[in-house]
Amino acid sequence: MEHVRNILQQIGLEPERVEMVNLSSAMAGEFVAAATQMTERIKTMGKNPLRSDLLGDRHTESER
Amino acid sequence: MIVADQKPLNELKSLTRGGENVLVVGCGTCVTVCFAGGAREAAITASSLRMAFKLDGNSRQVSDVTVQRQCEWEYLDQIAEQVKEADVVLSLGCGVGVQAIAEHFPETWVVPGLNTSFMGMPTEQGVWAERCAACGDCILGLTGGICPIARCSKSLLNGPCGGSEGGHCEVNPETPCAWQLIYDRLTGMGKLDVLMEIQPPKNWRAARDGGPRKIVREDLRLAKEEE
Ligand code: SF4
Ligand code: SF4
Repeated sequence: MEHVRNILQQIGLEPERVEMVNLSSAMAGEFVAAATQMTERIKTMGKNPLRSDLLGDRHTESER
Repeated sequence: MIVADQKPLNELKSLTRGGENVLVVGCGTCVTVCFAGGAREAAITASSLRMAFKLDGNSRQVSDVTVQRQCEWEYLDQIAEQVKEADVVLSLGCGVGVQAIAEHFPETWVVPGLNTSFMGMPTEQGVWAERCAACGDCILGLTGGICPIARCSKSLLNGPCGGSEGGHCEVNPETPCAWQLIYDRLTGMGKLDVLMEIQPPKNWRAARDGGPRKIVREDLRLAKEEE
């Protein structure tokens, strides 16, 4: 996971976009908490800038 | 094996600048087993570059291919077409692989994606350590199978030096003192007398000091007319 985060950072993406959580099937509460936390985090960071439908906007913005 | 380490992505971006069509070439031998430049790393490097270029707002093409061994012409022949189409080849082979590509494809601009580090082995999962410096005149038979050229920080032939402390090397306390290892091993095997034998000076001409080296095996060469 460290390695993947490092690669993302080098590419220029937020390393926090990827996370690994170890859970057993008996840990429903923890699963919900992790999923909620990740959803919140991604919402704050915004969509993946590499998605081509969004890339146009991003560059137009930076060119403005 | 030859052990190497990946260069940072920023350096790869800078090394490949100017090339619209980048070909990442992995190698299926040493650098595969040290997780630096095999098929998996070539694919990850290519997609990392694609993402990074895209974020930078340019649409350069990056593809990847891996050959069994980058240091032999036969394997390089298999990728001749792809190499020809590339503006720049980013080799994930060791320094030998990079040079083999440069020599085999004189028209191609090739750059290294790895820092070739040493000849060594994995000592535990995720850890590689240097073991041989290719001195050309192996003395492991005198040192209990522990190389003082590669593993003693000063390549001493008559160690340990005064800086050996508690089995650790003064140059880096994390490095075991090679001469302590040699002494302990020979003691354990009851062969300490090996160290008492007077040795002639080591032949350093067989090492890098004698310039680039070459081995010619006449028995293996193709006869002139067969060439
Ligand atoms: S003595 Fe020379 S050839 Fe033998 S292991 Fe050491 S560096 Fe390598
Ligand atoms: S402490 Fe041991 S390994 Fe380090 S330089 Fe001295 S003899 Fe060599």
